[in-house]
Amino acid sequence: MTREQARKAEGVVALSLSTLSALLGLFWLVFILGDVLVHGMQALNLTLFINDPAPAGAEGGGLRHAFVGQLLITFFASLIGVPVGVLGGTFLAEYARGRRIARIISILSDIVVSVPSIVIGTFVYAILVKPIGHFNGWAGAVALAIIMIPVVLRTTEDMLSLVPWELREAAFALGAPYYKVIIQVVYRGAATGILTGILLSIARVAGETAPLLFTSFNNSFFSLDMSHPMASLTATIFQYATGPYKTWHAQAWAAAFVITVFILILTILGRLIIRWRYR
Amino acid sequence: MAVTVKRNPGDIIFFSITAVAACTVIVFIIGILFVLLKESSLAIQKFGVIQFLTSTEWDPVKETFGALTSIYGTVVTTALSLLIAIPVALGIAIFITEVAPNFLRAPIGIAIELLAAIPSIIYGMWGLFTLSPIMGNTVEPFLKKATASIPLVSVLFQGTPMGIDVLTASVILSIMIIPFTASIARDAFNLTPAVVKESAYALGTTKWEVVKNIVIPYSKLGVFGGILFSLGRALGETMAVAFVLGNNHRIFTSLFDSAATITVTLANEFTEADKDIYLSSLFYLALVLFVMSFVFLAIAKFFLLRAERRYSR
Repeated sequence: MTREQARKAEGVVALSLSTLSALLGLFWLVFILGDVLVHGMQALNLTLFINDPAPAGAEGGGLRHAFVGQLLITFFASLIGVPVGVLGGTFLAEYARGRRIARIISILSDIVVSVPSIVIGTFVYAILVKPIGHFNGWAGAVALAIIMIPVVLRTTEDMLSLVPWELREAAFALGAPYYKVIIQVVYRGAATGILTGILLSIARVAGETAPLLFTSFNNSFFSLDMSHPMASLTATIFQYATGPYKTWHAQAWAAAFVITVFILILTILGRLIIRWRYR
Repeated sequence: MAVTVKRNPGDIIFFSITAVAACTVIVFIIGILFVLLKESSLAIQKFGVIQFLTSTEWDPVKETFGALTSIYGTVVTTALSLLIAIPVALGIAIFITEVAPNFLRAPIGIAIELLAAIPSIIYGMWGLFTLSPIMGNTVEPFLKKATASIPLVSVLFQGTPMGIDVLTASVILSIMIIPFTASIARDAFNLTPAVVKESAYALGTTKWEVVKNIVIPYSKLGVFGGILFSLGRALGETMAVAFVLGNNHRIFTSLFDSAATITVTLANEFTEADKDIYLSSLFYLALVLFVMSFVFLAIAKFFLLRAERRYSR
């Protein structure tokens, strides 16, 4: 083999391996999604959404308590996390633009996003569950909000930075104070981007389990009372999948199906909006 | 371009509100550190730092607690999963940036991002119901047979393959961090200036030589940062491993053993801790995990920032 042939052969081998690894990535995606789809579809039916659980191990019953609990916890988490995140991002991109403090908070947010969520669960347990004396839905919402805030904050900062500075100068020239410029000009320019960030952050926390285990805990009964233990889809999946009953396993698959589809739709929607708005 | 705030009352109010909102992130970090320290003070007093970190005894009945079994489990599963994930992730990044035809780049990029968006509990459940039987019935017996005659390696594959063990947990963990590592590596590769690559092509190099000699050296800081970031994430991953690790506190030698990580210990025992010292020791574990992952993530961020600063001009 000549030198040239050897070089070419090495290239073919290396790049084939790289192609193979991409196929392997796709394989896992198809394998996991396919598995969740197949098992989930089999167990999915209307009673799942409208019935509360049957006694453990018995046929029938549904997961209404978990769906409602998940919605409530995620809703209140967003209610706390979204405003704080958007306002915080506004500070970094506007008032503190170019200052050292903006850079520090921005970097710290990137780190906090990846801090183990179970640690955040133990933290919220110490401040909101232990003093009260029992697990409660609010603690779950706060734990998810803490995970949400740095995500929303960073995307808001990035999206506001994309709004051209000249736009603000034009508004300043008309005599507008900065806060009016931000609210009426900058927010409008970045609205789609911020919304996308919010969607993606909801997708991020909707699948969180670890921080809920010690905060909202779980509940086998339907409850709208946020000051008491509250069921969530993810904690229910954990309980049902590790439980001994076949009916539980089937319902865990169905719940996994619903939550996966919900998150993937949000994620794809977010990407599409970004692509459509910022191409 | 920074604007000094005029003394407009509206601005003062809005400035204050946004400043407070931004500072919550700092409050969280200090708050977590402070609260975990306070809650674990009982265990810190009783077991100290060195003894807690080096003791393998985790016995709720005798009320003696040491973190080494959990730390060992965390370190081994993380290392093993990185060992599997890094080559694949780099391969994917090379494929997306250099090999794939243009019309395939976006779809594969999206597919990898979807893999990253799947929540960890889904990975864990899939691991328990689907992957673990496959590992226990097919993959692990094969590995056992294949390595039986190799002296040192066979120790790693001793015992009955059950599928609920360190190996299965590490494989699930690696599938979880592949997309994450791949997307950071892709971003790092993309920072390589096209001009440099084109110059190399003009000299007659092959595509692989461009990747090997130009792209990878150029982006090694970013790739290294990405790997450290994935490591920080893998350390703290809970639900993906909680199903298939067995929560067994001991120093294992075989990959077919059940084990415990810090996260799995917390997930399984936190709500069951009935004594103050037990709960306090669990908080201590959480503190150790927080410090470990924070340090790795901070170092990772440092490398990523340096990579960005150096090449994005």
